[in-house]
Amino acid sequence: MTKKKSIFTQEVIVGIVLVALYFIFRTISSDFGKYTTFLSMMDISYYYALMAIGVAFPLITGGVDLSIGTGMICYALAGGCLIRFYNVPTGLAMLVSILFGLGIGLANGVLISVMGLPPFLATLCTCMITRGLGSVVTGSFAIPWPTAKQDNGWFHSIFKITLADKTKLPLGLVWIILLMLIMQFVLAHTRFGRYTIAIGSNKEAAILSGINVKFYHIMVYAVSGLFAGLASIAYAAVIKTVQPGTGAGMELDAIGGAIVGGVSASGGYGTIYGTVIGAYVILFLKQGLPYIGFNANMQQIITGFVLIGAVTIDIIKRKVIK
Amino acid sequence: MGEVILTMKNIDKSFPGVHALDHVDFELKRGEVHALMGENGAGKSTLMKVLTGIYTKDSGTITYEGREVEFHNTHDAQAAGIVIVHQELNMVGDLTVAQNIFIGREFKKGFMIDDRKMIQESKKLFDELHINIDPKAKMSDLTVGKQQMCEIAKAISHQAKVIIFDEPSAALTEKEIEDLFAIIRDLRKQNLGIIYISHRMDEIKVITDRVTVMRDGAYVGTLITDECTKEDIINMMVGRVIYEDPKTHSMVPADAPVVLKVEHLNAGKMVQDVSFELRKGEILGFSGLMGAGRTEMARALFGADPKTGGDIYINGKKVTINSPEDAVKNGIGYLSEDRKRFGIVVQKTITENSTLATLPKYMSGLFINKGAEKEVTEQYIKELDTKTPSADQLVVNLSGGNQQKVVIAKWLVRNCDILIFDEPTRGIDVGAKNEIYKLMNRLAAEGKSIIMISSEMTEILRMSDRIIVMCEGKKTGEISIEEATQEAIMDKATRDIK
Amino acid sequence: MENIKQNPVVKKLGFNRIILFCILLLMYGVFSVIIPGFASMDRIMSILNYTYFLGFLALGVTFVIATGGIDFSIGPVMFCCALMAGYTLNTHGAPVIVSLIMSIVIGFCFGCFNGYLVAFVGVPPFIVSMATMNIAKGLGSVFTKTQSVSWPQGNDPSGKGWFRNLVKVGDFPVGLLIFAVAIVILYIVMNNTKAGRYILCLGSNKEAVRLSGVNVRKWQMLAYVICGALVGIAAIFFVGAYTTVQPGLGDTYNNEAIASCVMGGTSMAGGLASIGGTVIGVLVISLLQEGIMALRMTKEVQMIITGIIVIVFVYADVSARRRRN
Repeated sequence: MTKKKSIFTQEVIVGIVLVALYFIFRTISSDFGKYTTFLSMMDISYYYALMAIGVAFPLITGGVDLSIGTGMICYALAGGCLIRFYNVPTGLAMLVSILFGLGIGLANGVLISVMGLPPFLATLCTCMITRGLGSVVTGSFAIPWPTAKQDNGWFHSIFKITLADKTKLPLGLVWIILLMLIMQFVLAHTRFGRYTIAIGSNKEAAILSGINVKFYHIMVYAVSGLFAGLASIAYAAVIKTVQPGTGAGMELDAIGGAIVGGVSASGGYGTIYGTVIGAYVILFLKQGLPYIGFNANMQQIITGFVLIGAVTIDIIKRKVIK
Repeated sequence: MGEVILTMKNIDKSFPGVHALDHVDFELKRGEVHALMGENGAGKSTLMKVLTGIYTKDSGTITYEGREVEFHNTHDAQAAGIVIVHQELNMVGDLTVAQNIFIGREFKKGFMIDDRKMIQESKKLFDELHINIDPKAKMSDLTVGKQQMCEIAKAISHQAKVIIFDEPSAALTEKEIEDLFAIIRDLRKQNLGIIYISHRMDEIKVITDRVTVMRDGAYVGTLITDECTKEDIINMMVGRVIYEDPKTHSMVPADAPVVLKVEHLNAGKMVQDVSFELRKGEILGFSGLMGAGRTEMARALFGADPKTGGDIYINGKKVTINSPEDAVKNGIGYLSEDRKRFGIVVQKTITENSTLATLPKYMSGLFINKGAEKEVTEQYIKELDTKTPSADQLVVNLSGGNQQKVVIAKWLVRNCDILIFDEPTRGIDVGAKNEIYKLMNRLAAEGKSIIMISSEMTEILRMSDRIIVMCEGKKTGEISIEEATQEAIMDKATRDIK
Repeated sequence: MENIKQNPVVKKLGFNRIILFCILLLMYGVFSVIIPGFASMDRIMSILNYTYFLGFLALGVTFVIATGGIDFSIGPVMFCCALMAGYTLNTHGAPVIVSLIMSIVIGFCFGCFNGYLVAFVGVPPFIVSMATMNIAKGLGSVFTKTQSVSWPQGNDPSGKGWFRNLVKVGDFPVGLLIFAVAIVILYIVMNNTKAGRYILCLGSNKEAVRLSGVNVRKWQMLAYVICGALVGIAAIFFVGAYTTVQPGLGDTYNNEAIASCVMGGTSMAGGLASIGGTVIGVLVISLLQEGIMALRMTKEVQMIITGIIVIVFVYADVSARRRRN
């Protein structure tokens, strides 16, 4: 009963790894320490972090959402089209992008929770469908969102503001941390969060406890979709032109981040702060390795091994405790 | 006993192909413990599921507290004060005790769940029940018995007026059962209506006021517990007389050779320094309470779980067993207590299951010789009297007793000399039980050696030639069948607990 | 309807597979009507080109899904095989036969890697797939210095183009013969050998098979190894038909291969697999891809349709099983 919990949880270890990585890269490469490098890395990090926060919820239920990567592109394309071709105000277009994400999330939820499809397959299908929809909507053309200098490009300043003395501040980081805290709170202290864990740990028990599991299961995927929608705004703010047909594989980086950050691959356990830290570890590897002289493509190989390593350590740790 | 709180009349329920409930009547009074009995598949669980809203009845009426009611889900039933303590534990392992007790109806402070209040309330609840559990402990860290107590606490916390216990004692130790009975007596005093489902005849006599018996989905009758005998109840359940006479002397010849010798077997906390011998043609009973380490001993012996020490000799020769593969090669077969999880591959045919341990023998070159395979399967279907239309039947479609026969066939096809039967008749109805017993006796007479782990005292006394008693991972006694009595066994099985 | 389903012949073939086959014929009919010149030999050859490599991928992953696992690294692994073997052929002047063997060996090694991690270390297949996907893409890029690789044409003066005879000689589809032989062999492996039996049984209940004295880890790993080797073969047919491979791609083929399996009646829960069903599934997707191309629509439209078909088929399967319980 008095089992002492080690303070070296996966979240803490990964946090240490993150800091260590940053300083190692800084030491080896002087370019990496530059503020502009930091800024551009932060730019890229937002949409990954947002996707990771969202997908943590399906992962904790023991499911997965593969549709967030291509979905994100699809929502960004839809919003961009509205601005470009229909002169829709930017704010409204952003709202449409986010709601589009929410809608696909709900569709995933219905397929999985009501129709009983395995999460992997259901979201694989919506992954294909959103990828296709993105191209169909735009007629396979790339869609640029307004640039920061344009009047309707104000949304860029959500993520990066330029002060009077021309220093740029990564404001997006504040939002990420804020959303991380909010979603961590939701996970730990609200019914929705508690039932998310319950579904992942023992769905049958949750049903028999009188919980409306179907509803909450749908909501889990809705959250994932909603965050993919938010990510699409962050993506549009960074990547000048959104290309249809891209986005496949991005979900894997987000999922990988969550897993590295301690979310159990079989469900029932996870934290949002761990997820975000994990996402940044993956991002640092992705962006940082070229700075220290690795072939840009080496990072993919290393990321793969890091993922396996993180999960293997977890497996070994559990075996030792037993 | 007070006035009637619940009446179920003419309840009828059909599933495709099965008439699960055939106009069943049931009545429960306040301050009563009412046993619901019947063989597996008699319809007890279905009746309770209809009551708590998991199933919808086809016809009939439920009157609760004077009003006709119909619940659409467990939530409705709970709100009305009818709760069920499930046989399979219904706990979310990754949440804490308090979080589990209040799951689905958390206290809230604005958006937030008020965890502190939930912990306080859980503490209060446990104090009332005189149980000592930390509400902040993670559920998966508790023992099965403690988890069960939490489940009961959860049921009581619903302001329940009717509590249904579905085989609550199956996983409890003797001590925990006593605690459970104390709680139930307490609840009875508080004028709650209690429905108690169990297969354990002795418990029924101790704790219940009335007994309702069901058979094949139909109501058979209701008796007052004090006025009936065990045999009365059994006769109502099976509609035929069954024999439960104990074995009086060992059937093993005095000069039978030792086929298996286990010395100082160790495996974690659950198996500590267990040594014993098994002789040819012997049925060696392993008795003990739940959690005594018998299954763990068997699994370690079979190589299913790692062992931390000990030597195993087969026919006098030392053997190394590190995996089930090694064990099977040495002629040991294991029939698990949990057939569905460890015994059979339910989605596959009888043939595929029967030859699973012997497949290399049914190969011609690179290919499976399906003809030979089918032949041997059909031979054992006949020999074991397995009830199935054909060898190509999926195992999932068989009854529990016939599934058990398929597992036995698997090891007989393998021609194993040493068979470990772990709770061989769990979840099998009375008729099929006798068949399994006959079969085990026949196997022993043919020279197979059997280790039988059983929690049913009558089974141990009826089948064993010799009995080993375990308690808390240690072997605490060895009794020949001539000297064995329930009291003697129970004394050794509880040595350290009392 | 129920009568048809209970018919022994229908039962043996599988109701869903018959429906799928009807859909295949129907699609072919519709395409032939709405697209002028669709019902030509050229088109069929072109469909077959797609069928070969997708077929080997799908047949491979059928074994993995039968164990209850998943492998969605197969597309990038196929590209990795084609890139590394092709690069060795072009840049280091290796003989063609060596390159072909190399492709299969690389696939085989990836299969061993995946299988070992899943079966012996206990890493969830989903995670292993994610990792391997990254590794395969990275390896392909690093090895070729991020250049695309073109395998020699059939009329290449060096005579290195002979491997294209594996796909077709003149107008004769040699690939179809090889593919047919592979189907027969894999059907037998799945249904009539120890490996297939153990793979299917452990997909259904791994612990019960282990307690029957079977070395389940070995057989579970074997499923991934079979898959890997078949992916290596798929790579050969891919370059035999399409010549050029680019690093960093290949993802879409995972989805198509898995979709083929699932349409054909292989259950994601493991334990149930149909080689014949997978082949029909592959034909449906190949035909769809050709039809969409002929209609001058993008590949993305094909994905939407594939996605919807898979949802319908899986839903039909899931609800049929629910009704049975």
